[in-house]
Amino acid sequence: MRTKSLAQSLPLIAPVHMLILSVIVIPSAFVVWLSVTKSTFGQDPSFVGLENYIRVLSDPAFRRALWNTIVIVVCAVHIELAVGLLVALLFASGLWFRRFLLVAVLAPYAVSEVIAVVMWRFLFDPDAGPITLALKALGLPILDWSFEPTHAMVLIALLTIWLHLPFTFIILYAARLAIPSDLYEAARIDGATPFQAFRRVTFPLLGPAVMVALLFRYIFAFRIFSEVWLLTGGGPARSTEVVAVYLYQEAFSYNAFGSAAATAWIMVAASLVLASGYVFLLRKQVTGNAH
Amino acid sequence: MKNTSTLALTRRRFLGTTMGAAAVLASRPSWAAAKTLNVLSHKVHETVLGTGETDLLKNWKTANDAAVTFTTFDSNPLQDRLFREASLSETDYGVGFMVDNRPTAEIASLFEPLDEKLKSDPIEDFADIAPGLVQGMTINRKLIGIPVRHATQGLFYNEALLEEAGISAPPTTLEELVEQAKKLTFTSKAGTPVTGMILASDLAVFPVMFARAFGGDFITKDFALVPDPVAMEKALETLRAMFAAGALPRSYATTKNDDQVTWMQQGRAAFTVLPFARFAQLNNPDQSKYPGKIKAIEFPVSAALVGKTPMASVTEAWAMVIPKNTKDKALAWSFIKEVSSKRVTLGMALNGNGPVRVSTYADPALIQKSPVAAVEAKALATARATFPPFPEAARAQATMLEEVQLAVLGRKPVKEAVAAIIQRVKPLMPA
Repeated sequence: MRTKSLAQSLPLIAPVHMLILSVIVIPSAFVVWLSVTKSTFGQDPSFVGLENYIRVLSDPAFRRALWNTIVIVVCAVHIELAVGLLVALLFASGLWFRRFLLVAVLAPYAVSEVIAVVMWRFLFDPDAGPITLALKALGLPILDWSFEPTHAMVLIALLTIWLHLPFTFIILYAARLAIPSDLYEAARIDGATPFQAFRRVTFPLLGPAVMVALLFRYIFAFRIFSEVWLLTGGGPARSTEVVAVYLYQEAFSYNAFGSAAATAWIMVAASLVLASGYVFLLRKQVTGNAH
Repeated sequence: MKNTSTLALTRRRFLGTTMGAAAVLASRPSWAAAKTLNVLSHKVHETVLGTGETDLLKNWKTANDAAVTFTTFDSNPLQDRLFREASLSETDYGVGFMVDNRPTAEIASLFEPLDEKLKSDPIEDFADIAPGLVQGMTINRKLIGIPVRHATQGLFYNEALLEEAGISAPPTTLEELVEQAKKLTFTSKAGTPVTGMILASDLAVFPVMFARAFGGDFITKDFALVPDPVAMEKALETLRAMFAAGALPRSYATTKNDDQVTWMQQGRAAFTVLPFARFAQLNNPDQSKYPGKIKAIEFPVSAALVGKTPMASVTEAWAMVIPKNTKDKALAWSFIKEVSSKRVTLGMALNGNGPVRVSTYADPALIQKSPVAAVEAKALATARATFPPFPEAARAQATMLEEVQLAVLGRKPVKEAVAAIIQRVKPLMPA
C-alpha cells in the first residue's frame, strides 16, 4: 500500500480541520475568554480572572438550578430507558398493527418542543385542563404544578420523557432486531425461561446500545431548557429553574456575558462528570470488542 | 441514437442558468424602491402604522422613494437584538425601538445623540411630546430616543360580572377593589368559574402598582430602594390575602401577560391591570365573550390616600433610536420625524397606540374611537416608569419578583420578603 507524507495528506484533510476549527474550536476559545472577563453591551470586556466562576458557583440560585437539573436528568433518563426498553421488547415480540403503533410511538419526536409544551400546559392546566378535570372527576389527586414545585418537577420530567422516548426506543429496538434469532432458539432448547433469555441473551447483547442511548440522553438532557422555560419559566420563585434557564437569564435577561460564559463551561463540566461513569463503561466495552 | 434527455443538466446549462439568475437579481433595484430602511421593533409598532391603503407612511415612502422593512421580536429579545446590532462594527438597521427602562449610560453610548438633528431639522411641535417621556430618553444630558408609544396601566373590569354579583359601580379605593374581587370569586350564571382578579407574576408592574396605591414604591426615579417598607408590606399582604381567598388564580406563579387578556375575554376573571391600549382587544367581538362590557378606570389608591396623594400608575414608554453604526442616518431621522408627526401620532392612536403627544388626547376622532382616552390622559399625568434604568435593573426586578412570589404564595412571611428585597437588591443599585 502506498503511504502518503503528511504534506501530501494535509490538503485532503484540511477542509475537515478548518470546519472543526471554525465551528467548534474558535467559538469554544471565545467562550473561555469571555468567561474570564466582565462584559456587557456598550462596555469593553475587562479581564477579571476566575471571578465569574466563583460568583456563579457561590450563587444559591445556580446551585439550586444545578440540583434541579441533576434530579430531572437522572430520573427522566433512567425512566425513559426502562420504558424504551419495555416498548422495544414488546415490539420485537410481535404486535398487531405494528406499523401504526410504531408511528404512534415515534410521533412525539416529530412534534416541536414548543408545541408539545403548549399542548401539555393546556392538558394539565390547574383550573380547566382536561386531564386535571378528569382526575378531579375520578377523585384522584391532581398535578398542582403551578403552585407546588415538586409537582412542577414531576410534570417537567414526564414531559421530557414523553418527548425523548422515541430516541431511546429506536436505538434499543434497532439493537434488539439485530440480535440473531438462533440465540433465542438455542436458549429455548436449553430450557431457558423468557426471563432467563432476557437476562442471559437480550440484556448483555443490548449493552452497547443501552450505553450509547444513556450517554447521548445524559448529555442532551443536561441541556433541558424549553420544557422548563415554557412550562414554569423556572418558577414558582425560581424553584424549578435548571442550569440552561439560569444561563439564558444571565446572557439574555441580564446581559452578563462573562458569567453566562462561565455558566456554560460549568454546565459542560458537570454533564461530563455526570456521564463519566457511562463513558468509562462504554470505553471498556469498545476496548473489549477490539480485543 | 444519442441517449440524452432534453432535461439533462449540462455544465453549459448550469452556468447559463446561474448567470441568468444573477442578472435577474442584479436588476432588482430597477423595480424595487431606491432605498430600504430596516427597522427593529415589536410587532405592535409595525401594526399601528397600518398597511396597504391605510399605511400611515405611504406618502413618506413615495417622497423618499424608500421601502420600510420591519424585523419584529417580543420585548426582551427585541432589546437584546437591538443592542447586539448596535455593538457590531456596522449594522443594516437604521431605526430601533427601545423601552425606557433600558438606556443606561453604557447602552446610550451605542446610539446617536439626537439633539443636533432636532435643532437642524426639527420634529413638528416637539414640545407637544410629553416631557416626562422625553426625559426618560435623555441620558447624561443627551437625547438618544424620540418617544413613540406609551403603555400606561389601568384597572380593567368586567361590567357584566359586576352586575351579576350585585355590584353597581367599580371600586373607588384599593380596599373596595379587594372586597369586590373576593365577592367576584364565584361561578357565573354561564357556569364559568370566575376568579376575582388576574395578574401576571413575572412583571414588577403589578406589585409596584399595589405598593404605590399605599404610597410606597420599589425603586424611585432618585434610586431610593423601597422608600416606604410599610407600604410595600401592605401591598404584599393584600396580594397574599387575595391569593389565599382564591381571588387570584391558583396558577398565579405561572400566569403570563397573555393569560390576563384571555381570562378577561373569556369571563374567567373580573378584574385585571393592563395598559389602556388593550381596551380594543379586550372588547373585540371576534375574541371576547364580553364585547363592550370590559371597561377601564384609573387604578385606585388606598382609602387613607384618597384626595391626598394621586395614584402614580406605572407607564412604559418606547422610543425610536438610531444606532451609531448605521449607514443612512439621514433616512432614519426622516423616518423618525414622520412617525413623530401629529398626523401619524393620531393615526397610530386610532389604531390602538398609546399617543405620546398631549394634543392627540383632545382630538375628537380619538375621543369617539376610544372611550378610555380621557381616563388614560388623566392617569398619564401622574404616571411614572416601574423603575429607572440602571445596569443591574433586570436582575433587581427578577430578585424582587422572586421574593414577591414567595410572599404571595405564603412560603415566606411578608415582612421577611420585604427585608430580603431590600437586602438583596441593595448591592445591585448604582453607586
